[in-house]
Amino acid sequence: MRYVGALIRKECVEDIFSSRGAVLYLVGCGILSVFSFLLVSNTELSLLDNAQAVYMMAGIVVGLAVLIAVIRGSDGFAGERERETLETLLTAPVGALNAAMAKLAGIVFSWFIIFFLSIPYLWTVGSTGQNLWPAFAYLFLAGTLLVVTFGGFTLALSARIKTVKGVLSIGLLLFLVSGSPIVMGPSLRQSAIGRFMDAINPFGVALNMLDSVVVDSQGILIQILPLSVLLCYAGAVLLFLHLAIRRMEL
Amino acid sequence: MNVVEIESLKKSFEGRKVLENTFMTVKKGDIYGFLGPNGSGKTTTLRILLGILQRDGGTVNVMGLDPSTEGDRLRRWVNVLPESHGFYGWMWAEDYLRFFGQLYGLNLSAADCRMHMEQVGLDSADRRPIRTFSRGMKQRLGIARALVNDPEVLFLDEPTNGLDPKGRREIHDLLLHLNREKGMTVVISTHILDDVERLCNRIGILYNAIIQYEGPLFSASSGKAIRYRFRVAGGNGVSGQLNLPGITVQEQTGNWFSCTIQDMKPEEAIQSLVQTGIPIAEAVQMGSGLEAMYLAHTGGGRRP
Repeated sequence: MRYVGALIRKECVEDIFSSRGAVLYLVGCGILSVFSFLLVSNTELSLLDNAQAVYMMAGIVVGLAVLIAVIRGSDGFAGERERETLETLLTAPVGALNAAMAKLAGIVFSWFIIFFLSIPYLWTVGSTGQNLWPAFAYLFLAGTLLVVTFGGFTLALSARIKTVKGVLSIGLLLFLVSGSPIVMGPSLRQSAIGRFMDAINPFGVALNMLDSVVVDSQGILIQILPLSVLLCYAGAVLLFLHLAIRRMEL
Repeated sequence: MNVVEIESLKKSFEGRKVLENTFMTVKKGDIYGFLGPNGSGKTTTLRILLGILQRDGGTVNVMGLDPSTEGDRLRRWVNVLPESHGFYGWMWAEDYLRFFGQLYGLNLSAADCRMHMEQVGLDSADRRPIRTFSRGMKQRLGIARALVNDPEVLFLDEPTNGLDPKGRREIHDLLLHLNREKGMTVVISTHILDDVERLCNRIGILYNAIIQYEGPLFSASSGKAIRYRFRVAGGNGVSGQLNLPGITVQEQTGNWFSCTIQDMKPEEAIQSLVQTGIPIAEAVQMGSGLEAMYLAHTGGGRRP
């Protein structure tokens, strides 16, 4: 299994040393800086309580993580195909499924970097308030499952669709549709459309779980159902990825 | 012993037949030249042989294994230099070779990597990012990568692309050395007939989705037409006299005559012409016997 380790290591190192990886993190830090500044300002002016600010910041971190997962997933096989490195990789005795798992591991590694980068921002926003530690824990759980879901889905598409642009446009569309609970705001989320979106899309489930933990201080038993839903999404995507890899084209 | 056997291979893309009842036999120790015009299906055949593309029909056997079902096992013992092979530009050359060594279950030391790079003439480039390499250097690095697992069968798709004449000669010498000293079987897909003539002992010509010729290179070249250009001193009016048995004038431009020499050596043809009283001032070979043979089997080089 040495080659799987080598593949994962290559994906992780590429994530840091390639120019596009570094740019994504730099932009991500810029976005987190802007939002944390706005949220701290709101908290200082007593427009938001501390827990609400942590919850909103966690939502931004999740959104950013999924966006980067979609971009990295789109680049997975389609990018290697465009850079003409895919054929060389597949002619090594690694198996396309192992290559896909290594790429998914690389996407999850990106999420770990974003998570660690987000810790000081969350700390800045919520250090004086309640439920900061549970926020970290559930953010990590929900973020990992969402990144596997969205990153795995776009990775599966990139095994079948030949260009990064093609995969990215589908991935971003899916991201915008499912990320709409963040865009809609609290009042619209109470509407029928908002509730429907919350019920069926993994983003809504993850945000409701964070709301329940950070704002409402609810315990772990309440979170079993949303975590199970997120696990189901991740499992379904892994199955889809497996099927897509079997029919991958050069 | 045959290391590659293809029978009745079929492959279509979106209804267009790329391979139709194609056959191929490569024996252990062969350097096999795989020829054909652009788009004739050579790369498709190589991909099927490596198990990274599924065939529509026929049987394929490489080293006793079916690539479509035992591809991962097969790829441990073979390697390939694809025609268009990109690189991870951020990697250093040494790390690149080590990475691919790991994919083959090998733990290459710095000395091993240096040895592989020296083998292809990349002596002092091991600690440089690949993005700084020239095209020729990348081609050499690609060949070094294809040799990391010491393959029993090496598939090369246009291996001398982007190399200068000295580099080409070095790669020829390397391949001949690997073939003679290690018994490595080499399959070369190329358009450069000079490469084939220098290296190969057997050839296959693919055209119109089928193998038009397969056999020894020697019999492919001998007994076939060779094209020559002759400059005749005071050339006007001698055109008719040039048409001797085995020599056919194709075209005249001033004092230059383009001729085809059939079933005789060029020296004999020139001697016959001189003996007939034609003042040959200069003779230039236009194409090898292999070229004439290749053109004859591929419709004069026209795309199918």
